[in-house]
Amino acid sequence: MIRSVLKKLAEIIIILVVLSFFVFVLLYIAPGDPAEKRLTSQGIVVTKQVLDAERERLGLLKPFLVRYGEWLFSVIKGDFGVSFKDDMPVAPKLYKGLVNTCILAFSSLMLSLSLSFTLGVASAVKKDGIFDHIVRIFSFVANSLPNFLISVLLMYFFCIKLDIFPVIAAGDLQGLVMPVLSLAIPMTGRFTRQIRAEILNRMNEDYVTGMKGRGVKNRYIILNVVRNSLGHIFTIVALQIGTLMGGSVVIETIFRWPGIGKLVMDSISARDYPVIMGFVLIMGAIYVVVNSLSDVLDRTLDPRISE
Amino acid sequence: MKKRLLTLMMTAVLALSAVACTSTGTGTETVTEETEATEAAENSGDEGQETTVPDEGNSESSDKILRAATSFAYASIDVHKEYYGWYTSIYGVSEALFKMDENMNAVPLLAEDATCDGSVWTITLKDGVAFSNGNPLTADMVVRNLQRLAEVNERFAYLADFEMTAVDDKTLTIDTGDVYPTLRNDLASPEFGMMDLDNTTDFDNDPICTGPFVISKFQPEGDVEVVRNENYWGGEVKLAGAVFYYMQEDDPKLIAMQSGEIDCYNSVSSAALAVYEQEPDKYNVVSIPGARLQFYILNENNLDDSVREAINLTVDKDKIAEYLSGTVSAAVGPFNPSAAYGQVTVPAVDVAKAKEVLEADGYTLGDDGIYEKDGEKLCISIKYYAARSLDTIALLIQEQLREVGIDSELGVEEDPDATYLATSDFDLALYCMIADKGGDPLYFIESTLMDGAFLNCGGFEDAHCEELIGELKFETDSAKRADLANEIVQIAIDDNAFGYVGLFNSTTVLRPGVTGFAENIPFDFYGIDANTTIE
Repeated sequence: MIRSVLKKLAEIIIILVVLSFFVFVLLYIAPGDPAEKRLTSQGIVVTKQVLDAERERLGLLKPFLVRYGEWLFSVIKGDFGVSFKDDMPVAPKLYKGLVNTCILAFSSLMLSLSLSFTLGVASAVKKDGIFDHIVRIFSFVANSLPNFLISVLLMYFFCIKLDIFPVIAAGDLQGLVMPVLSLAIPMTGRFTRQIRAEILNRMNEDYVTGMKGRGVKNRYIILNVVRNSLGHIFTIVALQIGTLMGGSVVIETIFRWPGIGKLVMDSISARDYPVIMGFVLIMGAIYVVVNSLSDVLDRTLDPRISE
Repeated sequence: MKKRLLTLMMTAVLALSAVACTSTGTGTETVTEETEATEAAENSGDEGQETTVPDEGNSESSDKILRAATSFAYASIDVHKEYYGWYTSIYGVSEALFKMDENMNAVPLLAEDATCDGSVWTITLKDGVAFSNGNPLTADMVVRNLQRLAEVNERFAYLADFEMTAVDDKTLTIDTGDVYPTLRNDLASPEFGMMDLDNTTDFDNDPICTGPFVISKFQPEGDVEVVRNENYWGGEVKLAGAVFYYMQEDDPKLIAMQSGEIDCYNSVSSAALAVYEQEPDKYNVVSIPGARLQFYILNENNLDDSVREAINLTVDKDKIAEYLSGTVSAAVGPFNPSAAYGQVTVPAVDVAKAKEVLEADGYTLGDDGIYEKDGEKLCISIKYYAARSLDTIALLIQEQLREVGIDSELGVEEDPDATYLATSDFDLALYCMIADKGGDPLYFIESTLMDGAFLNCGGFEDAHCEELIGELKFETDSAKRADLANEIVQIAIDDNAFGYVGLFNSTTVLRPGVTGFAENIPFDFYGIDANTTIE
């Protein structure tokens, strides 16, 4: 057990080092200059001398491998460096963004899972009935709507027409409702279809036919099917977590939610390499850990996978 | 089965409740000093109208809180660093020695006057100017502020070459070495805001300045709240305070304005503008030509004189401005036409003449409606980046050129400075920049027309123009400077080296009764001041 954990840890470290080097190369060869972005952010043009002095100060004139080596060693020592955009330490920025995004992602995931699990299972059980048709239409429409459109529509109805939420909310529970709904609605549409399909797929397996032949009550059959589908559902959720962590930038911007998606998009625009590299490391670690956990969970729920 | 479904639904509701009970918070804000402004502003959302706070001592002043939206927010409000001084100026917290007025003149603010004798400027401070903590602003403090600005902001590192001396409490001299006619304009830049360097303990979060407002709550890269500076040296401050909400997106700003949660904001988008203009009784929209210019560079190394002339005769700036629905005004030259240095002329749009020019140079119209010469189709590359409406302008120019018989290929880059401007790999390059950063033409001329300038990447060269730029650098008389600038820009226009398309309008929307949000000043770095009011 300890050996396999250590092996997994070593794998994670190697993946992260390779990933960070690859991203560092990409940033190096991509056009754009953090010094120029910083100095001209308001549309003021600066002279070459000023630009060169800023490049020197930010360490951009050092050779590529020296820059990567310095960054890697400082990360090993626990220092993610300072932002090229504003000279502020990177670690607190990432921490703040990560916490806020986790709150948003976890809340919308829980809401979405609760709804889609209920709708998906019920829809599969009532296949081709009116309820099933309604759920399928809902999941199709919800899955098709882009986040930003849902956000603006929710804002219009809740803030202007119904006047029950403020447009400008503080970072509290009230401020969480609309961004969570905006993220959860399309995700619910997607999950519902996937869960429904998975349940229906399992319903056609031999053991279900056997259970039916033995006269097992329908509710027990469904419970068994649901239990056996959990591994697949967890995999779907695990894959979605990565998207949620980095991909809710539109929602974060519209609802003024200071999450990591918005932070990294701003950092990419500003060529803020230290923040981008820190983000890549953290997201890489989250992806690897979540997918490893999903594998373990899959094996626990369905021992056939390990065989 | 119904019971089963009901159970599942109940589980879902319970899960939701659990989520709902999770207390959340962004946990980011740095509260410098708790004030009534927060509560007042929060309460205001319920009523959709301006709010009031208890008046503390300034009986003639209003007790109202202004709620505004800003498109940018930063991690620090250190006046001297980066562009943070723009925002402390917008918040009414910091003030510089001079200030740009509605006519783009640098007028005294903290300074009484500035006179120039050769390379030596003598600056006198106004009597009674004090920081919000009551400490007076002295000449020595001004000198130290300028020295700090040179240290912490690379754009102003040149100040370190100047010899600055505090003559007495109210007078300082700055010896610039060479004659430096634009020092007064420089001193109007918001980065030159004065801070009490001896008593400010946290420059990033709570600078002590001279403005009519003081920071009460600063959330890095988030919202900012200010309250009236009870010790303001300039007299009565009409507002009790203000809240600046950080809102990047246009739609939430529009909805917040509609729901009554904010009172004003600037940089209004064309879509929002159309909505506001339908309800003039509810919204007051002020739009004036600003200082941000959209223009294109024509590559003289790739394009014949006739093609460049034909392009400039074809591009219809009025139609472009019309298409952009009031967000830009058609430009003549690079500067506001009301400025003394904005007096240049361009030939009127004339498609027939454009064709004549091309045909006189040997171009013949092909069957497909595109001109060709020596068997080669006339096709130019248009490079642009997708910001400041340049993507729309690129499409419109492509369409207009095609009508006259010039084909074009569009190429979009994310970073123009690192790509097409650096390599000169273009025939027509679109760009947007602030052309007038402080009421003087030298900065733009040096950046775009001077030999070797980064934005002079289309091969424009003119010995007389270079000579005139040399004169402009040292000319101290404003009228002569304007004449020189007009002559220089006219040379570039006549050479068809550039095309000045539009000046971004500075567009502000205000709730009726709100005034003094710098809505009539064409610079981005002003907001509230002592005279901002809500009726």
